[in-house]
Amino acid sequence: MRRLIRWWPLPALILLLIFPWVYRQPYYHVLGFNVLLFATMAVSWNIMGGYTGYKSLGHSAFFGLGAYLVAIAANELGWNPLWSAPIMALVVTVVAMVLGWIMLRTTGSAFVIATIAMLLIFRLLANNLRGITKGAPGLSQPLPPWTPEFSRMPFFYYMLFWLIIALLVSAYIRRSRFGLGLLAIRDDEGKAEMVGVNTTLYKVLAFGASAYFVAVGGGIWSYHATHISPIFAFDIIVGVEMILVTMLGGLGTLWGPVLGAFIYIPAADFILFQFGSSTAHLIILGGLMILILLFLPQGILPTISEWLEKRRTPRAAHTGARSMAEMQTPSGGPEPDTPDTYVSAVKQETS
Amino acid sequence: MTTLLNTTNLARRFGGIMAVDNCSLAVEQGTITGLIGPNGSGKTTLFNLITSVYKPDAGDIYLQGKRITGQPSSQLCHRGLSRTFQITRLFWDLSVLENMIVPVRHVGIRSLFGPGMHRHEEERALHLLERVGLEHMKDQLARKLSFGQQKLLEFAAVLMSDPDIVLLDEPAGGVNPSMIRFIMNLIRSLNKEGVTFFVVEHNMSVVMELCDHIIVLDQGKKIAEGPPNIIQSDPVVLDAYLGD
Repeated sequence: MRRLIRWWPLPALILLLIFPWVYRQPYYHVLGFNVLLFATMAVSWNIMGGYTGYKSLGHSAFFGLGAYLVAIAANELGWNPLWSAPIMALVVTVVAMVLGWIMLRTTGSAFVIATIAMLLIFRLLANNLRGITKGAPGLSQPLPPWTPEFSRMPFFYYMLFWLIIALLVSAYIRRSRFGLGLLAIRDDEGKAEMVGVNTTLYKVLAFGASAYFVAVGGGIWSYHATHISPIFAFDIIVGVEMILVTMLGGLGTLWGPVLGAFIYIPAADFILFQFGSSTAHLIILGGLMILILLFLPQGILPTISEWLEKRRTPRAAHTGARSMAEMQTPSGGPEPDTPDTYVSAVKQETS
Repeated sequence: MTTLLNTTNLARRFGGIMAVDNCSLAVEQGTITGLIGPNGSGKTTLFNLITSVYKPDAGDIYLQGKRITGQPSSQLCHRGLSRTFQITRLFWDLSVLENMIVPVRHVGIRSLFGPGMHRHEEERALHLLERVGLEHMKDQLARKLSFGQQKLLEFAAVLMSDPDIVLLDEPAGGVNPSMIRFIMNLIRSLNKEGVTFFVVEHNMSVVMELCDHIIVLDQGKKIAEGPPNIIQSDPVVLDAYLGD
């Protein structure tokens, strides 16, 4: 049974593959594309924000940069966005690593502010470098060659492909020595440095990796949107939604960002559809987010796994309390609950 | 005897206070050297200078004769110098085994993208965990361990990088007597296997029993050094602890 459960991504993938053929209206194809886009970007953001613990609020900068580079390449060089997106994303990754090398001298909220500043600088550049970006009105690019009624489906499948790649990379990083170092940095950066983790190198590499799939998403989105402008390409809300989605599903987990996107994006769309005319959707969304932070602060997946673990070992909660109690025991006096582990070890050692 | 670690005229000022003042000292290979002194005498600051947490205002640090002043902390671990902290620091949301695997001595770009844990590393980690009696907890999160177990885990993890010298900041701090005894035996047997120790400790009976050589700091200056029995009756040391 356990073994079978491990294969759950396969039926999920099959469902996703047939989805556009079951729901044939373009609306569902666009919604599906958006879900996959945000899932991909959240998986990517999670490498830095979840594994490493550095929460960037400026990842829209890489989204916009990817979008603009792809659009400019399509207009000036005639490069098809579908294959230029992953190439341009490599350029964005290099840019991210250089900027990251500077910004990652800061930690905590200073880092968050630095990333927002980075985003605003890119937006200013997009607005003002009119020769390249055409300024505030934005720039258009050639339409996809396929017929309009069919037009959304290739984007859906292409985005699905990139979500799978992003998940594979995220899973690979998590299992590698590199990922272990990132988790160590999240828990205690000074200690990680002390035990030999080159924290600067690790953080810069993680920042670059987390920019890559966001930039790929931006590139594909720009082709999908056909017209891009600074306010949408460098919109801080895009970055905020990557974070919300990740936190909803479970920060620092492999599948959390995906789950979060599959819940949040359709829900946000539904609420916008129902209440958008009165802008009440913003209030409802904000309220929902507050409720989630209050009652599911760790996100869905960690809460579930903790709950399962508690059911399996009913005394698990007790050990935490005991370690607290032991900390308060004064150093001299004998402890009431000396763990027999080291008592037996003492015997071995002294005999 | 060869000198493993030494400092020359090391100094560090915090505002108006000389935390470490013109401090020259040496730790000989194969010894257990103690570092004692009243509260605020600069012991932990000295450790932080040696391990590059702070940069010294003046002076140099040498490891096996090579200058290591200002080297990034992460490099020192790969050169054979490790430390523990006064207040136990672990990777709380990683498992016991993972806590052991993070500090290993050789990590290059190639192994960076290799698997998180190699077979030989896991075997070594389990062997060390067995030595401190934690092998049955290898899959627990570090935060779930008791205080004493956390302290042992930090100690065992430091040994994973196969250090030549270990700086211990209060190994007996806050733990019960049977545990102190256990930690002392562990230090001794590791010392016999060739690991040099440099130990800050407040518990005098532990220091006197454990150390071959003791260095005394007061107000950032080295005021005495020598074998335990001499230090114990040194009037300068007694004065620093009890005087004015």
